[in-house]
Amino acid sequence: MTVAAPAMTSRGPERSRRRIKIPNERLFYAVLGFVGLLVIWELASNFDLDPETPGTQGLVKRILMSAPTLIWNAGIEDFSSGVIWPHIAISLQEWFYGFIISCFLGITLGLSLGWFRRFRLATQPLVSALYSTPTIALFPLIVLIAGIGLESKVILVVLASIFAVIINTMVGVQSVSWKHLEIASSFGASQTQIVRSVVLPTTIPFILTGVRLAAGRSLVGVVVAEFQAANQGVGFYIALNGQTLNTARVFIGLLLLGGFGIFVGELVRLVENRFDAWRPSIHR
Amino acid sequence: MTSAPATQDLALSARGVRMEYLDRGTRERFVAIDSLDLDIKQGEFVTIVGPSGCGKSTFVKLVNGLLSATEGEILVRSVAKGKSDAMVFQDSALFPWYKIIDNVSYGLVCAGVSKKQAHERAMPLIKLVGLGGFENKYPYQLSGGMQQRANLARALCVDPAILLMDEPFAALDAQTREVMQAELLRIWRGAEAEGGARKTVLFITHQIEEAVFLSDRVIVMSARPGRIMEDIRIDLPRPRDLHVKRTPEFQEYQEQIWQLIASQLKAAASQFGGSTE
Repeated sequence: MTVAAPAMTSRGPERSRRRIKIPNERLFYAVLGFVGLLVIWELASNFDLDPETPGTQGLVKRILMSAPTLIWNAGIEDFSSGVIWPHIAISLQEWFYGFIISCFLGITLGLSLGWFRRFRLATQPLVSALYSTPTIALFPLIVLIAGIGLESKVILVVLASIFAVIINTMVGVQSVSWKHLEIASSFGASQTQIVRSVVLPTTIPFILTGVRLAAGRSLVGVVVAEFQAANQGVGFYIALNGQTLNTARVFIGLLLLGGFGIFVGELVRLVENRFDAWRPSIHR
Repeated sequence: MTSAPATQDLALSARGVRMEYLDRGTRERFVAIDSLDLDIKQGEFVTIVGPSGCGKSTFVKLVNGLLSATEGEILVRSVAKGKSDAMVFQDSALFPWYKIIDNVSYGLVCAGVSKKQAHERAMPLIKLVGLGGFENKYPYQLSGGMQQRANLARALCVDPAILLMDEPFAALDAQTREVMQAELLRIWRGAEAEGGARKTVLFITHQIEEAVFLSDRVIVMSARPGRIMEDIRIDLPRPRDLHVKRTPEFQEYQEQIWQLIASQLKAAASQFGGSTE
């Protein structure tokens, strides 16, 4: 064997071994992006064009946009003194009651609207009208009826979120395949068995989409209601600190809302994944 | 029943069946099936062929009780154990949210058998149709042919006196279809070996070759309104394998049935002056 073999480069597993393996890629890049943003924000807010008037003329005006370190310090202050806890507690309460009522009432109504055609026809105009009315426009009326306490806020939260559940559930029931119903009855399934083996499995992914949307809309409802008439709650905390130019605390409120929104969204996603085992995975 | 022949060995008896539909669009009534008489003996493999829209599928749905006839009566032999009939549907008829084992045992669970017992009774059938090892897969993880095997196992699982098959192989590619035809005959014999009595099968297809290959009798239906034109006994020896399709006797049966259907298509074409579909 005297003929020299042509030089060959190695492909396949050999090459990829050189790369650093990141255990949780999704989390890693999410954190990287977030930290990067904080660093840029902090640097930009400390870059003053005119040293005489700090915080008012920079690339990012500290007085309006605050800075990560300022937010951090204000956060430590409010959490350790405890002034923020009642706001969080009351908002959580409003959100929780509103969201739970929306889910239960919305799923029940959505199932009946999808299943009973005449019921759907009779209530469709009302549902569409309520759905298209901006919820906030109803708030003065709600306050007149239910006062400015917890009740009026829960009602607004329900109105803001229930239609997402109702409409998604209804569409889910309507997308039950005629063929699957036929198969179930050909095997002698009872009404209850048909609901359990055909209607619910088809509808659950739709319901969960509605629930995920409702979780976010409920949060919007909470904030909107607290902007309007409240003396407690995260929405009130944001509004108050905004009016007094205390922007660091406005950001604390925003972070609380954003973090909570992500948390609940991920929670519903976990439930969705559990029910999605039978689907070919597209994005997992 | 007034007819004399011994009714005890009949699995199905249909007399004067007529089925009318109301077209929702045009508000017109049309007759899908007219004065249909049919007797099927126990253990017979009977196939109905006919042009599209001749009411073949409607007839099995009448037998299954999914529809009720406008006139006439259909008697299905009731059995002590199991269901009197079960249907193998056309393509993608499995519940996509159930694993194969839950799909196959569905009929038993509907009949009130506990899930555990139903699974135990489903396993031999899953093995019989050649899906051993796939019982915990979801339908989307199986090929079309394998899904139809599970579909067949689901129907066999309730131990029906009559197995109704509504174009079960229509959506399969030509090669898989041939394999499945041979498999169906094998499973038919296998079920016989296991369950004792031979299963009666009522099979619907528009493929003449499939009908001749599988059946003891081929019923040829006319174009709408569907009537029985001819009842042809297929005297090909069993067990059959795919080689039988190459024999001259097989070709003759095929030719005979094709002539009957072609005459119907021609009649329909001249009647409506257009497409025969």
